[in-house]
Amino acid sequence: MKKFWIALFMLVPILALWSCYVAPERGWWFPGTTGPYGGEAASPMGRRIDDLFYMILAITTVTFIGTQLALGYVLWTGARRGDAGSGEKAWFSHGSHNLEVIWSIVPAGILLFIALYQMDVVAAIRFKSEFPEQVQNRPLAEVTARQFEWRIRYPGFDANGNLLPLMADPQPTDLYAVNDLRLPAAQPVMINLRTDDVQHAFFLPELRVKQDAVPGLTIPVWFEADRADEFTLLCAELCGWGHYKMRARFVALREPDFLQYLRDLQAQQDYDGVPDAADEE
Amino acid sequence: MIRSVFHRLLTAVSGRPAAALAALVLCGAAQGCGRQEAQFTHRAGFENLMPEAQSYVHEALEQHFGTPTQVVAWEQLPIKLHAAAGAVGAAPDARSIAVNYSQQNLPIEPGLQTAWLSGPLLQSQGDPAWVEAVDVAGRIMFEQPLASVPAEGDRVAIGPGEVLRYGRVLYAEHCQHCHGVSGDAQGPTASYLNPRPRDFRRGIFKFTTTTASNRASRADLARVIENGVPGTYMPSFKLLSDAESMAIIEYVLFLSMRGEVEYQLVTQLGNDYSNQAVKDRIDGGETRKGILDEFTGMVNGGDMQEQFNETVESIVTRWVEANEPEAIIVPGAKRPPATPESIARGRMLYLSQDLNCVACHGEAALGDGPQSYSITKNAAGEDNPTPGLYDEWGNLVKPRNLTQGIYRGGRRPIDLFARLHGGIKGTPMPAFGGKKTDEELWDLVNYILSVPFEVRHPGDGLKEARPVVEDVEQVATR
Ligand code: HEC
Ligand code: HEC
Ligand SMILES: [Cu+2]
Repeated sequence: MKKFWIALFMLVPILALWSCYVAPERGWWFPGTTGPYGGEAASPMGRRIDDLFYMILAITTVTFIGTQLALGYVLWTGARRGDAGSGEKAWFSHGSHNLEVIWSIVPAGILLFIALYQMDVVAAIRFKSEFPEQVQNRPLAEVTARQFEWRIRYPGFDANGNLLPLMADPQPTDLYAVNDLRLPAAQPVMINLRTDDVQHAFFLPELRVKQDAVPGLTIPVWFEADRADEFTLLCAELCGWGHYKMRARFVALREPDFLQYLRDLQAQQDYDGVPDAADEE
Repeated sequence: MIRSVFHRLLTAVSGRPAAALAALVLCGAAQGCGRQEAQFTHRAGFENLMPEAQSYVHEALEQHFGTPTQVVAWEQLPIKLHAAAGAVGAAPDARSIAVNYSQQNLPIEPGLQTAWLSGPLLQSQGDPAWVEAVDVAGRIMFEQPLASVPAEGDRVAIGPGEVLRYGRVLYAEHCQHCHGVSGDAQGPTASYLNPRPRDFRRGIFKFTTTTASNRASRADLARVIENGVPGTYMPSFKLLSDAESMAIIEYVLFLSMRGEVEYQLVTQLGNDYSNQAVKDRIDGGETRKGILDEFTGMVNGGDMQEQFNETVESIVTRWVEANEPEAIIVPGAKRPPATPESIARGRMLYLSQDLNCVACHGEAALGDGPQSYSITKNAAGEDNPTPGLYDEWGNLVKPRNLTQGIYRGGRRPIDLFARLHGGIKGTPMPAFGGKKTDEELWDLVNYILSVPFEVRHPGDGLKEARPVVEDVEQVATR
């Protein structure tokens, strides 16, 4: 019976390892695992974040296997000592300074290592001074979350057809969209994130971008999509009963396509209901 | 002890423990595990009818519109009902037919039913013909050979009612919790919203590009559903596919028409056959039996059927007309550039006695004109409960604060033009089309679009507005 319990407890780590092993092919892994890119992040920063994840996964796996083996060993020897006729005595370890020092210092060292190791990535994501040169103070869109949709404001064009900079306040030339964010691909881009009401979170799972939108703040967020493609944009902060409705799309476009998109948006937004003379003929 | 309490409880329920237990289990299944069947509910005013009139209205609606889970595809309605419809084409045989489509709304998939809308097969609904596949030539092939072959030219529907069924599922998923099962704006989340969701049952929609006397077009509904209504809780459903949004629009139209028929019936019968009217008539010397006989006579073979048909006819005509090109507002002139002169002219119109925008929207366009806080009367001529303007549905509406630059009906020039030309239907915002020339309306549009960018300070009063074009130039040079 004792052996049965030991086997049962050892089954847990084995199942855990098995589920990790099959996770990727079953789509229990990163977003898009079952898609064409096999779960690889669709942005350079996303891959750096994934690397951090994998590193931590490796550390926890080694620790997990180690502790489970130790657990098995303790169970096993304990069971052996409990056998009828066994003269073995338990080893009394309580109060062992050496042991306590080891299991304080080793984890502390690992945590310190992780903390230092990820600092660059966090800084690059969060600190404006570390943003890539070309996006600093050059937001291409203002994304405003509200219950329950994403409202987007782009700068428009000047009289000569040049793209204007995005101003903090709405301008007569601005262009508007909803639930459909489009930005250039293959280059860093920056948006200003705001909310009209409660807290929301701007989440691009395939790009590993997640940033809370906080009432009263305008938060710069930058990212870079590898390729022109369509991605999911979600709200990742339970923001009310309609939270699930805040599903939108993010479309990364080639730069000329992006400008064309804005021009089309402008044409739509300027539509005055009078068909062009050319169309009528 | 517990057992005896139980026992007593159960016997108290029915006197027979076993039966009571069975009843309890059944209740549990019905409430807990079983699903609640969605039901169309009746509008206010229905309860005031005498019971016989109530059951007439109920049955008429159920017969022609069905229930949410058993929607009737009533051919009379100008709605896309079927996955596809048309006439039987050349050389029909028992295994396959060609179809000359008049409508193709949804893809034709195996397992859809085929129904004959005319011809001798119309009667043999008993054994339906299921679609097996569509062959390369586009002929519909059947799982089983048809018992008798349709004639060329017979009208045929593939997937009868499929659009409404699909629309209803999507509506239940996306819209019902606000707009309600019957389209009555009584969904569970509705009472937390301001403005309240639209009650579709009057067939009135606010943000249309049709002229003042017309209903909303399909394109108007499509635009509202795609873009939402900015500044309200009506969210954008941008990611719906074309087929999905088509089906939802048809279902919204279905609910609107059902609601309108109900409204008309309840209003018509309310004159003579409400509980109050019956009481008054009895007081006036008639007998209850006399009134009942009159009602039964009218309903069974009397002119009620004709009246019903006329009601439906007029409702249908209005929806058909709304989708015709004549109903759409097309400005007689292109929008002039927003020059300072145009904006100034628009501003003078805005302030003029004649149009009186200021009465509602206020001089500074903050939506605080005197009418927004005066006592107004409702349709029945009684004072409204609190000061301010009310819409057709009895909800308080504030004239828009135009300085915010949020336009619920859309921010394209044509949207604002249509708002001024056709008014905002169902609200006090009047229609100015015909009253002013199209050029004047464009000046107003240019002014409205410039209001959010006016720089005003306390005490400025009616100072000249700073034109919007300057702003553009400044931004460009910044
Ligand atoms: C969160 C609640 C909510 C949901 C969900 C919702 N609506 Fe609405 N809807 C509203 C509100 C509120 C309005 C009224 C806006 C106003 O009066 O300005 C409205 C208005 C409308 C209108 C009228 C527009 C007009 O011009 O008068 C239509 C049509 C409509 N909704 C359709 C839908 C459809 C179809 C869906 C589902 C796909 C849906 N709504 C989902 C809240 C909602
Ligand atoms: C009797 C009062 C009344 C008058 C007069 C009036 N309005 Fe309005 N207006 C309203 C109300 C009420 C609304 C809000 C309707 C709603 O959305 O429910 C409104 C809404 C609007 C909107 C917002 C449209 C949108 O898409 O959000 C504009 C623009 C507007 N009015 C302009 C004008 C102009 C210009 C005039 C004068 C030519 C005018 N109104 C006259 C009551 C009025
Ligand atoms: Cu949210």
